[in-house]
Amino acid sequence: MLEVRDIVKTFDDRTVVNHVSFEVHPGEIFALLGPNGAGKTTLIRMITDILKPDSGTIRLDGHAVGGGDRQRIAYLPEERGLYRRVPPLDVLVYYGQLKGLSAGAARAAGTALLERMELGEWANKQVQTLSKGMQQKVQFCTALIGEPRLLILDEPFTGLDPINTQLFEEILAERRAAGTTVLLSTHQMNKVEQLCDRALMINHGHMVLYGPVGELRARHADHAVMLRCEGRPEAVPGVRAVEAADGGWKLMLEPGASPQEVLRGLCAAGVPVASFAVASLPLEDVFVKVVREGLGLDHGLSGPPEPEPAKGGTR
Amino acid sequence: MRLSWKRAWIVARREYLATVKRKGFVLTLVAMPRDFGGIKVSATRSADSSRVETLRSFTRLAVVDSSGLLADAPRVITTKVAVDPTGDPGREETFRTEVEFLPDQASLEAALREGRARRGVVVPADYLASGRLRRYSRAQNLLTSGGGTRAVERWLAQGLLAGRMDSLRAERVSQPSVQLDDYALDRDGSFALRDERREAVEFMVPFLFSVLLGTCIITGGQYLLQGLSEEKESRILESLLCTLSADDLLAGKLLGLGAAGLTLVAVWLGAGLALGGPMLALANVQLPPLLLAVALAYFLLGYLFYGSLMTAIGAVTNNMREAQQFAMMFTFANFLPFIVMTSILGNPNGPTAVGLSLLPPTAATAMMLRLALPAAEVPAWQLAASLGLLALTCWLVLRGAARVFRIGLLMTGKTPSLPEIMRWARPGR
Repeated sequence: MLEVRDIVKTFDDRTVVNHVSFEVHPGEIFALLGPNGAGKTTLIRMITDILKPDSGTIRLDGHAVGGGDRQRIAYLPEERGLYRRVPPLDVLVYYGQLKGLSAGAARAAGTALLERMELGEWANKQVQTLSKGMQQKVQFCTALIGEPRLLILDEPFTGLDPINTQLFEEILAERRAAGTTVLLSTHQMNKVEQLCDRALMINHGHMVLYGPVGELRARHADHAVMLRCEGRPEAVPGVRAVEAADGGWKLMLEPGASPQEVLRGLCAAGVPVASFAVASLPLEDVFVKVVREGLGLDHGLSGPPEPEPAKGGTR
Repeated sequence: MRLSWKRAWIVARREYLATVKRKGFVLTLVAMPRDFGGIKVSATRSADSSRVETLRSFTRLAVVDSSGLLADAPRVITTKVAVDPTGDPGREETFRTEVEFLPDQASLEAALREGRARRGVVVPADYLASGRLRRYSRAQNLLTSGGGTRAVERWLAQGLLAGRMDSLRAERVSQPSVQLDDYALDRDGSFALRDERREAVEFMVPFLFSVLLGTCIITGGQYLLQGLSEEKESRILESLLCTLSADDLLAGKLLGLGAAGLTLVAVWLGAGLALGGPMLALANVQLPPLLLAVALAYFLLGYLFYGSLMTAIGAVTNNMREAQQFAMMFTFANFLPFIVMTSILGNPNGPTAVGLSLLPPTAATAMMLRLALPAAEVPAWQLAASLGLLALTCWLVLRGAARVFRIGLLMTGKTPSLPEIMRWARPGR
């Protein structure tokens, strides 16, 4: 659906995005990660055609972005703002018309969105009378109006209470089910683990991680399995050390030993296994590790930088 | 320039409606002509009524004649004044001042102190040779102390000639051109009777038009500046720019706010014609369609020039205060012709007037000011060169401003320096 190939962007003498390539598949929620100043916003601005890359291509459904694609891409930036003296419904009608809806259709869509966001009674009050959270919901509506094919959200959950966070998540799930592709930029790694299929992480403009979220977590974890059972397991084949962890045991494997062999060994030894899982690192720890230790694709530690082939031949 | 007129039109409509609904716009629309008209009417009325009041209270003139030259002077001064100079020319009021001769200066001063006389004149013994007089009055105000001076001078002339020639001749000497038919060569090459009232109106209409033009150009530019600063401060631009291009936004803003400026012109002009129409008809003043067409062309080009500059300024600055500081120098350029108006009025075909009417930043107001002057001879080539240069500059400024606008819109923090802005404005960025 979205195909970014080898893009470079330089401001004066500083390369902010350096040969970045990735793909986002239709209907997936894709995370764009990176520390502050990594080049995420510049990358998003190039995808939304606000900035032009110095080299490389960005294609949406096979066409270079720009012109008519503006109506198919919506963007909720991290630094948000609305016309303060205008009612939310008028703001949505304006955005809807800019995205190609007629005035009537934009009004109907805006009303429906405000109702869905539980802001129906505020539709005709000035934006400046709304709370910050309410304004954030109106801003989310400006991104949703016009049924965009690609929805780019930069830190959408910041400042939201748990109930509204859940509401946003529900709406994202609805949109995803309807075929909308979501590119989510956030520092909330728990949300990435919870919502996203795949992720790209950049640091200093370079790609450092790219792939399915589960794989990224497993790839950077220790060579170990997590076990819950009665008593401490002893002398398990393929296990070089046993540590207590999270109310269970972390079995550190010998080089070359596989989790399957270890599980077979445990069963053969009559250990009553309550749960068994390959150890994986929380994404937040992966993030910190990659940034702190300067690891990543550029150092040949996380796999090739080429984008993965599209799933199911949908592209 | 990659432009979607559909999206530019949506932006233009929003900008127009958002602007004309603002309290500030409505206030400008209503208050400006009211205040301007109010100041003009009250200033005229105040000057007229002050003159009439001075003459009305000038009932007695105390005279000490040590020269003996005024022994046969009239004992009454009669002054006729048009009560309403802009209305019926036949409406005159006659004022009567009695002349009282007193023996010495002390008695003259006493008469003034006690209010028996408003003014006094002491004519020394050597007056004929020296021409020296001493004038006394009760008023201390700089502006009102001169009232009635002409009446006293006329009486002195009549007094000096009294007994030496007939009174009618003496009256003519004192007022040699009281009824003057003044002929002047008009623009058609024939001599026509000058009508001061018509000339005043003929000058005032285009003059006010050029003031209106300058004001509307700057007002439209200010709306652009204000709108952009607000959008930049409230961080609306980034989500907006995902939906439309910077060029769509720029075109929409220029169109919408230009239309708001034109609305001001139309309403003020309409109100001016409705209120001043009878006066124009009375003075037989006609507004040539060519003048209106030229004014419209100057408005559009002038607005485009200043509007483009204002959008660039709005894009590179961080808030309204900063933007206003930048905009100040350009606003000054627009009104420069009014600042050097004396020079333009004194020599409308001179180098200053011609230069300013050709220079793009001052062309609109300077040329309209020159066109207002009957004495100005504006050759067709100057008009064409002025409009052509302005149009060319508009094109260049618009292109440069669009580049600065695209780069500057999402910038925050340090305001770029002038060399940086100039670098952005160059093609190829």
